[in-house]
Amino acid sequence: MLLDSAAYSSIPDIAPPSMVSTEQRQHAEHTFLSFRKSKSPFAVCKHILETSKVDYVLFQAATAIMEAVVREWILLEKASIESLRTFLLTYVLQRPNLQKYVREQILLAVAVIVKRGSLDKSINCKGIFHEVSQLISSGNPTVQTLACSILTALISEFSSSSKTSNIGLNMEFHGSCKRIFQDDLCQIFVLTMEVLQEFSRRENLNAQMSSVFQRYLALANQAVFLMLMALTLGSLGRHYIAMFESTQNVMLKPTETWREALLDTRVMDLFFTVHRKIREDSDMAQDSLQCLAQLASMHGPIFPDESAQVSYLAHLVEGLLSMINGIEIEDSEAVGISNIISNLISTFPRAILTALPGELFTSFINCLTLLTCSFGRSAALEEVLDKDDMVYMEAYDKLLESWLTLVQDDEHFPRGCFVQPAIQVFNSYIQCHLAAPDGTRNLTANGVASHEEDEINELQEDDRELFSDQLASIGMLGRIAANHCIPLLTSLLEERVTRLHGQLQRTQQHLMNSSDPGSADRKVLDDLYEDIHWLILVSGYLLADDPQGETPLIPAEVMEYSINHSTEVDINTTLQILGSPGEKASSIPGCNRTDSVIRLLSAVLRTSEVESRATRASLTELLSPQMGKDIVWFLRRWAKTYLLVDEKLYGQISIPLSTAFGADTDGAQWIVGYLLEKVINNLSVWSSEPELANDTVELLVCLVEKRERANIVVQCENWWNLAKQFASRSPPLDLLSSSVQRTLMKALVLGGFAHMDSDTKLQYWTEVLHPLQQRFLNLINQENFPQICQEENVKREIVATLEALCGIAEATQIDNVSSLFSFLMDFLSSCIGLMEVYRNTPETVNLIIEVFVEVAHKQICYLGESKSMKLYEACLTLLQVYSKNNLGRKRADVAAEEDQYQDLLLIMELLTNLLSKEFIDFSDTDEVFRGQEPGSGATGRSVSAADVVLFGVNIILPLMSQDLLKFPSLCNQYYKLITFICEIFPEKIPQLPEELFKSLMYSLELGMTSMSSEVSQLCLEALSPLAEQCAKTQEKDTPLFMATRHFLKLVFDMLVLQKHNTEITVAAGEAFYTLVCLHQAEYQELVESLLATQRDAVVYQRLADAFNKLTASSTPPSMDRKQKVAFLKSLEEFVSSVGGLLCVK
Amino acid sequence: MMNQIESDLVFLARIKMHTVKVPLIHRTMADPELDFTTGESGASATIPMQCSALRKNGYVVLKGRPCKIVEMSTSKTGKHGHAKVNMVGIDIFTNKKYEDMCPSTHNMDVPHIKRNEFQLLNINDGFMSLMADNGDVREDLRVPDSELGKEIEQRFAAQEDILVSVLSAMGEECAVAIKQMTGK
Repeated sequence: MLLDSAAYSSIPDIAPPSMVSTEQRQHAEHTFLSFRKSKSPFAVCKHILETSKVDYVLFQAATAIMEAVVREWILLEKASIESLRTFLLTYVLQRPNLQKYVREQILLAVAVIVKRGSLDKSINCKGIFHEVSQLISSGNPTVQTLACSILTALISEFSSSSKTSNIGLNMEFHGSCKRIFQDDLCQIFVLTMEVLQEFSRRENLNAQMSSVFQRYLALANQAVFLMLMALTLGSLGRHYIAMFESTQNVMLKPTETWREALLDTRVMDLFFTVHRKIREDSDMAQDSLQCLAQLASMHGPIFPDESAQVSYLAHLVEGLLSMINGIEIEDSEAVGISNIISNLISTFPRAILTALPGELFTSFINCLTLLTCSFGRSAALEEVLDKDDMVYMEAYDKLLESWLTLVQDDEHFPRGCFVQPAIQVFNSYIQCHLAAPDGTRNLTANGVASHEEDEINELQEDDRELFSDQLASIGMLGRIAANHCIPLLTSLLEERVTRLHGQLQRTQQHLMNSSDPGSADRKVLDDLYEDIHWLILVSGYLLADDPQGETPLIPAEVMEYSINHSTEVDINTTLQILGSPGEKASSIPGCNRTDSVIRLLSAVLRTSEVESRATRASLTELLSPQMGKDIVWFLRRWAKTYLLVDEKLYGQISIPLSTAFGADTDGAQWIVGYLLEKVINNLSVWSSEPELANDTVELLVCLVEKRERANIVVQCENWWNLAKQFASRSPPLDLLSSSVQRTLMKALVLGGFAHMDSDTKLQYWTEVLHPLQQRFLNLINQENFPQICQEENVKREIVATLEALCGIAEATQIDNVSSLFSFLMDFLSSCIGLMEVYRNTPETVNLIIEVFVEVAHKQICYLGESKSMKLYEACLTLLQVYSKNNLGRKRADVAAEEDQYQDLLLIMELLTNLLSKEFIDFSDTDEVFRGQEPGSGATGRSVSAADVVLFGVNIILPLMSQDLLKFPSLCNQYYKLITFICEIFPEKIPQLPEELFKSLMYSLELGMTSMSSEVSQLCLEALSPLAEQCAKTQEKDTPLFMATRHFLKLVFDMLVLQKHNTEITVAAGEAFYTLVCLHQAEYQELVESLLATQRDAVVYQRLADAFNKLTASSTPPSMDRKQKVAFLKSLEEFVSSVGGLLCVK
Repeated sequence: MMNQIESDLVFLARIKMHTVKVPLIHRTMADPELDFTTGESGASATIPMQCSALRKNGYVVLKGRPCKIVEMSTSKTGKHGHAKVNMVGIDIFTNKKYEDMCPSTHNMDVPHIKRNEFQLLNINDGFMSLMADNGDVREDLRVPDSELGKEIEQRFAAQEDILVSVLSAMGEECAVAIKQMTGK
């Protein structure tokens, strides 16, 4: 047998593939597997280990020992186990030249033996540690390496659940081993510290020594600290531990027992010393810095009191400063150092930071400032060189984030202590982003400019999103030092705008004199554009916050800054500068006495004006669409915060700001007019730039979505021109992409609800919405419409109308829904007619369904009963027509599948939208009763949402194939829909036609068992209502009753036998309980058959007890809320106590 | 203004109606001798459109072929460059894939696409006899040489009443779908 296995075993290891056949190889593998399963292979294995020369055989022998020991543990004598362990250790010690993988496997076997032994206390870990510490003190590097390997093996075996070997024991065993090991861990830590201490004292390390050193350092970092965290988190579930183990940056929160070992200042000093010694070795430096970062995140009960925490922090900061000062930081250190700082700042409370000695705190802040600026510069260099690994960028991000944390609650710190640092960091950021001579952008270390033009696709994020975190930090620092930063940005921007103006003029001259338009030098222009790009982005982030939520406020720092200077400000000059974007700011007399906040806006307006004038001079080709985007992005962000500033929202308001932008001011009126003009200009010259057009139209929406702003907008003649122009569907607006056109329609409709006298309002609607309706009706009412419907112009007109309808639906708000609904409703019925006419034209059919989707999406939640009914009816007719036209149709063209997929997705969306009415309903209850005969109640309904939705499902289900479910969006939408149906109309499910019912149940099962966890959760949620429905009707042997019985088995297996995550447990538990209530006998059978398979008496008893306890609080189970809650609670205990028992790893 | 557009539409509609009545000029690949292609047929077969106004699922002429746009994206050269449109289209008759890229300010040709449904009356020597809604009968279209064509023949042989959808663009025509006739 020995020779056999050795012979075969050599095959996969040594013999090249050409010499062995597949069968031979399989046979060899089979030999190994059965060898590992053989009974008591210890003697054989020992013999192999001592005689064989083939590494792979040695490896297999070690594996066989490991598996057999665990398998036959209770049969083995304590002494023979002990001797086996000693044999293995000695074996490794005596053979320093073993292959690494063989050695590791043998040591793993040792670790597994120790681990198994620790459970029944047959092996004392103390003994092992004693042996290991002797090995360490031997002074022999080889032996020390071995000792390190032993410790590493022990730790990885004991600590993490993901790295634990598969030795056929349940998760619970692994868990309890981990708890037992906690005390021993401290020992390992101390041993490791000793080794590190010894090495750090040595002057010169040879190669071998330093490799041992490295191993211990790695051990200290990865094993000890990771394990420490896993233990800290030990009380949490398996799921969480695995999650924490996967992230490197867990905050260190050791228990009190670690106080002595970790609070000893020598520990920290040791790591600083070690790092200083090895920092040139990038691998080792990573470990030592990681250790320090862990120490910097220390918190929790380990600190006896605040003063201990202060002195710990002081020691850490001192160590850090003396480490950083006076060295030139290596590339490999940047991230590690920034991690230490970021951990420190986010872990230690403000009170502890401020309790540091003043000088130390100042030095720390100064050091942080210098470091931030330096990392920022290096990050810029990385960008120029286009490095793959952006270490400085990562480090810079970390430090900027730390600044944000620091200054966000700066009231705790001495007033103004962050101003100078903020100025420095801000300046260096600006410098890195500006071109020479003011800045260093695109300059390599030796001052050479590089200029590359990459191909950028639409998926690449805009800088304003890509660098939003950096920009938010820089903006915040800019606010802290507003005195410096706002005027700086203004003057830099004004100066560049003047240069841009000049450069454009020169280029124009050049172009007029030259026949070749390509000869214009774009380099100078592009440099200016890039400068302006960054200046506008920083200005936007400085002046205002992200306008996503409700009305964003003017940042307090900016307001305060404007107030503090308002006495020196000449308001008239300020307004003059604001109102004359076409003139150079510096040419206006008294331009030094302006409000700086307004002046910065004016600088952006000047940029905008140069751009607009260039387009009028037909220089659009030379302009940067990116700069155009920046401008409208800034203006939108600015307008949301500053335009028509509401004094009530602020304790104190700046006079210049309220005079310039307050309600009922000429300034506000002027700027609205200006913005509108900008929008109109952009939409006509930039139709070919989809992103810019989109940002532009979003600015327009921002102007009209708030009633106060809209009131001013509709007084502008330009607004009316825009509306008329769009209604006429003529160039240039009809060149815009369809999504931009929709949004433009939305804006025009929103504007219609601004305050106007009734004549004006009537006139407005006559010019905006009426033409749409008229043109549409004229077209479709033509006698020969069915004949001309395929003409290109007719199709275009129809498509434009449908697009506009989507835009109108998007404009729905609670106060305009009634008029928009009646307007749209007229169209919806005509659309159904169109559906018939265009049954052959998939793209039109698709768009028609989309109109319904949009209307349902935006309006259903506001509609009262009679109106909802109308919409339901319309949707039902739509679906009927769709179904009629597609039934029995066979398409052979290339787009058939894609078209069908899109139709299905839209129909499901439509059905889900209709169902959402059951959850979200803002409709006025009065309206519900007004339209109804008294007493008719729900029976008076002609169509219910259920009818529409079930009819829709009837259309969809036969078309849903497993292939289609592979589209994630379709899959999610589908399951969302069927879950909704089960939850809302459980009573309709048993009435479904047989085929439909079957496929619905099959879908649920499929979703529960083989889709994403999100889908699985949805399906579980659908089960309870179905089971409750069965319980209600009391009918047995119905198909639904049978189906729920099947689901009981599925959920039972899922909860008891499979690994699952916590989110699902709740959903599964709810479903489980209702199913158990319904099928009590079957549940008992399941429990008994599970118990019957248990051969281990202890396990059997524990399982039986657990099952008893599970239903104890709810016997007999009934659909009572209180009982259900009690059951869910016991289920949680059940899962945590037995879950691991049956889940074997 | 409104009236003018309407009358334009009516006018255009009339012109088209007129061309429909004339025996179709087409170029079915299976039928070379019936190729009457003249210069003028291409002239009204397409209209120009700015790239940015094209849409996915819409149609465009790529390499002289009518295509359905299945992918559309934009890109630019350098951060301050102007948008270019990248398109992938599939020839609606041959299923061949074409790609093209052009500045988004440029115009592309958009083919006029028509889809008409006819009732299948007869199959004679590989040609279908098709009746339009208005009773006009045409017998100039071949049964397509494809799976669909086989099905048309089978269903016809089984005496089923079926409707045939005919796709036409740029002087080319092809049957692309069939549907069971429902009692109207």
